[in-house]
Amino acid sequence: MLVVILVTSTGLYFALREAAANFEDELQRDFRSKLDSEHRVEEIQYAALTEHCRSLARRPRIHAALEDGALDLLYPSASDELRDLTEPDDDPSMPGLHANYYRFLDIHGAVISPPNPDEVGRLNASDEGQLALKTLPDQQQTGYLYRGGVNGKETVDELIAVPIVSTETGEVISALVLGFTFPEPDDATTGIQSGIWLHGRIHLPTLGEAAEAGLSAEVTTAIASTGGPGGRFTTQIGGVPHIVFFNLVNSSSLFPPAYQVCIYPVADFLDRQRRMRWQIIGAGLLASKIISDHLSQPVEQLAKDSVKNRVQREQAEARLESTHLELQRSARFSADTSHQLKTPVTVLRAGLEELRAHPNLTHETREEISALIHQTFRITSIVEDLLLLSRLEAGRLQLEDQSVNITRLIASLQDDLSTQPEGLGVQADIGGAVIHVRGEERYISLILQNLLENACKYNRQGGTIRVGCHEHEGWVLLTIGNTGPPISPDAQERIFERFHRGAANEDIPGHGLGLNLARELARLHGGDLRLVGSRADWTEFEVRFRIASEAKIAVHHDV
Amino acid sequence: MRILKLFLAGGVLIVIAHSCLADATIEGHVALPKTRTTTVVVQRYEVISKGGIVSIIPPVAVVYLDGTFPRPASPVTKEIVQKNLTFIPALLPIQVGTTVAFPNEDTTYHNIFSYSAPKRFDLGRYGPQDRPIPTEVFDVPGLVTLRCDIHEHMRAVILILQTPYFVTSDTDGHFKLDGLPAGHYTLKAWINSSTTLERAVDLQNGSVLHLDLP
Repeated sequence: MLVVILVTSTGLYFALREAAANFEDELQRDFRSKLDSEHRVEEIQYAALTEHCRSLARRPRIHAALEDGALDLLYPSASDELRDLTEPDDDPSMPGLHANYYRFLDIHGAVISPPNPDEVGRLNASDEGQLALKTLPDQQQTGYLYRGGVNGKETVDELIAVPIVSTETGEVISALVLGFTFPEPDDATTGIQSGIWLHGRIHLPTLGEAAEAGLSAEVTTAIASTGGPGGRFTTQIGGVPHIVFFNLVNSSSLFPPAYQVCIYPVADFLDRQRRMRWQIIGAGLLASKIISDHLSQPVEQLAKDSVKNRVQREQAEARLESTHLELQRSARFSADTSHQLKTPVTVLRAGLEELRAHPNLTHETREEISALIHQTFRITSIVEDLLLLSRLEAGRLQLEDQSVNITRLIASLQDDLSTQPEGLGVQADIGGAVIHVRGEERYISLILQNLLENACKYNRQGGTIRVGCHEHEGWVLLTIGNTGPPISPDAQERIFERFHRGAANEDIPGHGLGLNLARELARLHGGDLRLVGSRADWTEFEVRFRIASEAKIAVHHDV
Repeated sequence: MRILKLFLAGGVLIVIAHSCLADATIEGHVALPKTRTTTVVVQRYEVISKGGIVSIIPPVAVVYLDGTFPRPASPVTKEIVQKNLTFIPALLPIQVGTTVAFPNEDTTYHNIFSYSAPKRFDLGRYGPQDRPIPTEVFDVPGLVTLRCDIHEHMRAVILILQTPYFVTSDTDGHFKLDGLPAGHYTLKAWINSSTTLERAVDLQNGSVLHLDLP
């Protein structure tokens, strides 16, 4: 019995140690992948900003301001080029290219004061001084700034300095420094917090002043003792043990070194460890009993198995945990992805447009560039559809439950289509009554738009498109039909699949997302989209919406 | 009688003035910065702005007799032409008060502007057919860099001097300034925006002074 217990305990000890180490490694990996993803966002920003600075460097007026002693004219000359950097993004939740402020550096790396600070983002003198560098950089630099923002509330900004290189002499003639809002620490529910260590101090207001100061001192000591790119240690914060990770985020920067610090409460982890210990010990004792009762079984094997089972369960739990984190991360990144995908396309388009404006182009070249620009719009629309789909799938699309006037929507879409050169005849059989459905207008409009575009694309020359709308047993049934060759029976099964396209129609524009997106959106509205039928020269879809109760019920209209 | 006296006095004045203006000449050589020279069929001058210094490639010097002289009685007009997407000449020395015209002899548009302190202006876009041909008067001495907002490589400099006595050297640095007034002056040679060589000269009527700078 004693031998068995001894063996069990040894196994138990190692199992616990391994589980603990695994867990810490898991956390560190998580921290690193978070840093990596932030780094990726940064790279996109770099790419876009570099493009801006390149095009600034091509401007004679920027050269004139910097080289002809006209620094007072620098900001006015650059404001057009940089306007989109300081204008707010469409979606404020996305960490994009929206800079809070920007400044130019002179040939010595000092900040050139803007004549009108409101146009380039106001900064107080000491904050503005922090943007200066010892010398002009020859490549991008990242730095951080604690800024006393509105209401005296301190905020952390990420600074990016991009060199402006003379297109002619290859000299760095200036640099552009931009300040971006650094993402706020993670939300409190996970108990995981992160902040930036700068000048011996961490900005983590949620900790409270005393804890913030204590942690600052500890991290400063840890950084001084390792002196390297990062590390981890365990400490008490407010009497609760935490694991602290720190990582240098701007190595070899001309800005002061900054570390990203991440703190994880160990409480849950210890709790689970304790629970696990008792379970394992209990199981071990039971196993010991069984073993001593039935000495026929190989002792060590059984002890090992018992420990192994526990460890496996622990590992499964840890995996579940990491999947959960992964999911949270992916939700956060689907927003970032939008920018990651759209920004390069925007940069590409801007570049092409600039190229097209060049005066010495032949007509053919210009046509070709126009075709390329057209393609970038296509990419953007695919990206938007994909993002909407991914948000749908992640369950992140929140619908507003409004009463939407679908009659008016149809009429306006019909107007849009009638302006197209093909002169498509869209007939709407919706009568005079006004029908309302429940949902969010822009998504319902998107559904109709996709269906109408689809109908236009597959309509035969000189054919008809008919839109009908009527109420039926609490539902609003909307039908969209078009003339043209029928969809083959095999294809009928697959038309709602993503990236499916009518095989026979290679030259028809589109990317095979429209119907899929329309159906997903219809279902999200509690309705559905189906193919009513596709027979000789007539294909018809029907989309079902919930009727808005307060709206007047329409009289029945035939399709 | 009175009229005759005035007439005589006037005649004497003219004679004195003539002897003052008259005919001293300085000729010589300015040591120009060495540049990597490439043999080209058509020599073009380029204005380079590097390290905060504006210079002409290949280097030439503007040699002038320093001092404050009266402005010319009748207005002087000079030209900087835009041709083959360059400014010709790339370096134009003028006396203060001179009007410079900027005819466009290309087939495309140009948009000439200056951010330089002695004269800031922006002529806007104009084509070869547009009339009147834009002009600017340069009233303040100094250096003005001309640029074209449409063609980033186009640059020229106008050197606005107090004196009417100036000449541009050839690319070897040889120069000849004649018709100079007698007296003590400083002869200066502008080489680039950071380098001007100078030497005191004593000019006598009808003399020819040989002088090398530095």
